[in-house]
Order: sequence, then C-alpha cells, then structure tokens
Amino acid sequence: MKENIVNVLRKLFPFLSVVFLWRLNIPFWNPGGILAIIPIFFCTFIRPIRWFMPFGLVFCFLIDYNLATLCYWTAIYCLCYALNGFQSFIDFEHRDFNSIDMFMVYIGIGLVISELAHINWTTFGRTIWTFVWMVILYMPITKLIERVHNDR
Amino acid sequence: MAAIATLDLLSDSYFDIIKRKIKFLLNVRFLVFKVLPMIQKSASSKILTLVKSAAAALLLPVMFIYIMIAKPDYKIMNGLAHIVLPVANVVGDVITWPVRVVGDMFDNLHELATLRSENAELRVRLDDALSQQNKCHIAMAENDSLQHLMNIVNKIPQRTVIADVVHETRALHHNTFLINRGKSDGVDAGMVVVSPSNQFAGIIIDAGENFARVRSVTDSDTNIAVNIAGYEVYGFLSGNASRSPTVGLFSDPQFRSAPGLTLVTSNISGVLPHGIFVGTTKKNSYVDVLQPRTLSRVIVLQFDTESGYKK
Repeated sequence: MKENIVNVLRKLFPFLSVVFLWRLNIPFWNPGGILAIIPIFFCTFIRPIRWFMPFGLVFCFLIDYNLATLCYWTAIYCLCYALNGFQSFIDFEHRDFNSIDMFMVYIGIGLVISELAHINWTTFGRTIWTFVWMVILYMPITKLIERVHNDR
Repeated sequence: MAAIATLDLLSDSYFDIIKRKIKFLLNVRFLVFKVLPMIQKSASSKILTLVKSAAAALLLPVMFIYIMIAKPDYKIMNGLAHIVLPVANVVGDVITWPVRVVGDMFDNLHELATLRSENAELRVRLDDALSQQNKCHIAMAENDSLQHLMNIVNKIPQRTVIADVVHETRALHHNTFLINRGKSDGVDAGMVVVSPSNQFAGIIIDAGENFARVRSVTDSDTNIAVNIAGYEVYGFLSGNASRSPTVGLFSDPQFRSAPGLTLVTSNISGVLPHGIFVGTTKKNSYVDVLQPRTLSRVIVLQFDTESGYKK
C-alpha cells in the first residue's frame, strides 16, 4: 500500500511540479508562474512522459492567462513540439546537462519575441533577469524531477 | 555456460567500441550545437510522433485565426480560463500551502515589526488630515452651491464592491492582478477599480464567476483619458510597464506638463467616470501613480461603459 502511494506520487511528481511552480507566482522571482515552463519543457522534449503534452498545453495557456499574452507561450510550445516531431537532426533527449542549451534557445527566442512587443529599458531588464533566472534554475529543477520520477 | 558468458562480454565490449567510434564520427559540431543522430524508433512509434506533431502544428493556424477574429474580447479563451483557472488554483493551493504558510508567517512578522513606526506615522498624518478637514468642508459647500447654480448633476456610484487582491501577476511588460470578486458579486469587465484611499488602480478586463482580472494603471496596455485638475486640458495616460506611466497628447497643444500637476480621470472618451484621482506628474511627463504591489484590498465601482455610474 505504502509502496503504491510512493509510486503514484513519483509518477505524479512532474505534473505536481508544474502546478506548484505555476501557482507560486511572485512578480520578481516567478512572474506569472513562468518557471513552470522548465518542467513543461523537460517532461515534453527531454524526458517525454506519457500524456504530458496536453497537460503542458493547459499550463502554457494558464501562464498566458497570468501574463496577459493571449496564447503566445501556448503557440511557442506547439511550434516547438511540432518542429521536434518532424525533425531528426538534433536529438533533444540525449544531450549534455539535460539539454540546457536547447532550453536556452527555446526560452531565449520566446522572451526576445515577447520583448519586441514593448521595447524599453524596464522590460529589457526584466527579460534578461527572467532568462538568467530560468537558466540557473533549470538544472536543479530537472535533476529533482529525474531523481524523484526515477523510472528509467 | 562460462564460454557463452565470455562470448557475451566480448561481443558487448566489441559493440561498445563500434558504438563509440560511430558516435565520435557523428559528433559533428554545427555552429555551437553538437549534432547527435536520433535513436532509431520503430515505424509505429515514428508514425505516432508524426501524427502528434501534425496535431500540434494544426493548432497554430487555429490559434492565429482565432486571435484575428475574436478580438477584442476573446470570449472562448476567457471562458476556457474561467473553467480551468479555478480548478488549477484549488490544486495549486493544496500543493503550495506549506510554502504559502511560511511566506505568510514571514509577511506577518515583517508587518508586526513595522506596525509601531507605521502607527506613529499615521498619527501624524491623521493630525494633518484633521487640520485640513475644515478647509475641505468649506470648499465642498462652496462647490455644491456653485454646481447647484450652474445646474451640474454629478452622478456617484450607487454600489461598490470591496475585494481582496488575490495575487499580482506583474511580468515582463504586463501588470495585472486578480481579485476575489467576480460576476456572482456583480463585477464585470469595464468596471473601475480604486484603492481604499480612492485613487485609480485599474480597470477590470475579465471577470470569472468568483474572480476578476484587473489591468493596473502601470500595464503597458493602459491608455486612459485624464484631466489636469484646475485646467480645462485633457490628455492621455499611457502605461509603459515601468512604475511611472507617461501623460501626453494634450487637448491644448500649447500645454506642457510640469512636475506637481494633479491628474484625475476624465469621461471624455466615455470609458471612465470623471474625477477619480490618478496621480501627480513628475519630470519629463512621467506620472507618480498607485503601485499595484502596495494593494491588498480594492474597491470596485459599479460603473458601466455608457459614461455613467450604475444605479
């Protein structure tokens, strides 16, 4: 019984981490719950988990709702998912440091396009900070998910 | 048995070396990205991946067309958010409660620590306000009599709703916050939100059943008509995602903004009620406005978009 509960929690951990990071939105440290993109990216592209894509889609939509960006992050997520599925050139799943370089490209492009909508020094600073902070937190969060999920 | 095991080991090490050689040969560096060959998958798995990718790709034009045609109220998207958001919030609340309890505890401790100094400051401000009160009473009485003489009728909101700020979602170039009152309390999109001290805080842009989203005065999409108090000059206040929005596009081209001017809302565009204090001007057309992060409770004015308060 206890083992079953532990196993269920392990399986649920990536999903719960997304909800946790989305709900814990704080303007400076986690604006609009944007940190939830880390587990969404990791569990969709790097260590794919079954049925994670629709879940990621819903939470990208909720991030968009928080950030008042219509369906911008949802569209970026769909675009990356489609591109990743159609290509056979870059293997997202077997790269160093949990494919942090691919994450940097993903989040970098997303933030830069978003910045272009309203360019000024304040938003530029916030964009840089968000990028750096997300890249810093990428490894700890993904390592934690790997450790807890531990099913491969 | 031992011979078979040795053979297995030998073949494993042999294939490992071959694999490593192939990997080395294929470790081509293209720009900065190391290119690795994809691990071959079965045909059915490949087809499934392609189908899923095609489905995701199909969503893109659907979203694009929807954004084009559903402007400006995005009813389907907001309707979907009204269902998903409360569910996700409840699940999120359950998961994050230990963190929030600790956070609240620190907030309360900080509040307690500053209570004494705040109390002293409030006493000084109360004394100051009381000394000004008499002057205000006289001015109000004069104003009433003048309005009566000039036959001006000022409508005031018949009903207000007090709401708590649930959370602020300041991010990148947007600054919105959620309040815990929604359609079930009579709150609807387009209504005006003010602070308890009656300073303009924002406009409701979306209302769910039990929550509403407010676009704060500092949001980059904010663009409201304002009146310079004491002058017959109107202008527009535009948010720029920083703490200080700017005022410009004055009705009088000769008019120049100077520090210390008081701005109040104007009903010239028929969107806002007249006379709510917005802020005071600073240097270079910047305006000192209410910062949403300082808000914990707000008042929603039951005001419709037909240039009048709701009765």
